Amino acid sequence: MPGSSLIARHLGALSARLPARIVEELADGLDQTYRRYLEQGLGEEAAARAAVAEFGDPQLIVASFTAASPARRAARRLLVTGPGAGLCWATVLIATRAWSWPVPDAARGAFGAALLLAVALLARAAFRQSYRAASHAAIAGCLCIAVLDSVMIGLSISLAPMPRWPVALAVVASTLRITYGVRTVARVCFG
Amino acid sequence: MRAEELRGHLDSLLLATLEGGPRHGYAIIDALRRATGGRLDLPTGTIYPALHRLEQARLIKGSWSVAAGRRRRMYQLTPAGVRALAGKRADWREFAAVVTAALEARPCPDPA
Repeated sequence: MPGSSLIARHLGALSARLPARIVEELADGLDQTYRRYLEQGLGEEAAARAAVAEFGDPQLIVASFTAASPARRAARRLLVTGPGAGLCWATVLIATRAWSWPVPDAARGAFGAALLLAVALLARAAFRQSYRAASHAAIAGCLCIAVLDSVMIGLSISLAPMPRWPVALAVVASTLRITYGVRTVARVCFG
Repeated sequence: MRAEELRGHLDSLLLATLEGGPRHGYAIIDALRRATGGRLDLPTGTIYPALHRLEQARLIKGSWSVAAGRRRRMYQLTPAGVRALAGKRADWREFAAVVTAALEARPCPDPA
């Protein structure tokens, strides 16, 4: 059936770049568009061509899904709120004289490298045109942020001499970011 | 009417098509086509990402259902979506009244 093969190719192009649950929804819409043209009297080939033309270029559809994806939105939110959370923690580090904490230099270096990696992953998720690349980068970036924020909360609770308002503020900010990141990972992975 | 002319209004149109009750993606596209006399010239595949965006904004709620042995994603307005639609409708009426008055050199109607 020539019409079906044209539609299958179109769906194949979408399947290569979008999650199965989205393609399933698109396939239903494309199939119904095709059937509408058949009912209007077009032949299979012409109906498939008309349906594919009406549906739009796969690249445009993928770009629209990427722009609307939870991964992209979460990455942009975490990037925008990052400096605020960083400022909270910087205040804590200065107020508690963090340079005197018994943390090895290698661990400090690893933390800094992980922070840079998290920012790079979130930036990739925020600006990449590929839906899959943006999703994968957002998952990795959110998990990275969750680990970093958890480490900071743990360190501040165990090493800071006493509870101070900057610590409380920073812990709240980090807890919100961890929760948001984990929820984003769940949403991206399981819809 | 081209896609770029629709920018900013597509969300309102999609919300309006769901005012009568839940619909799946193709039914929304079909309702939009009927409501506009087929004059909207936009790739229908791009309606689906717009629906996902509205769902993320919690203005509509999506759920899978099975009809004739086929899984379909159904969408319905949320209470926030109903409120958003009412607000967008009021904004559009005001905008249309002001622009129409200016284009036709008539006095602008007083806001109600």
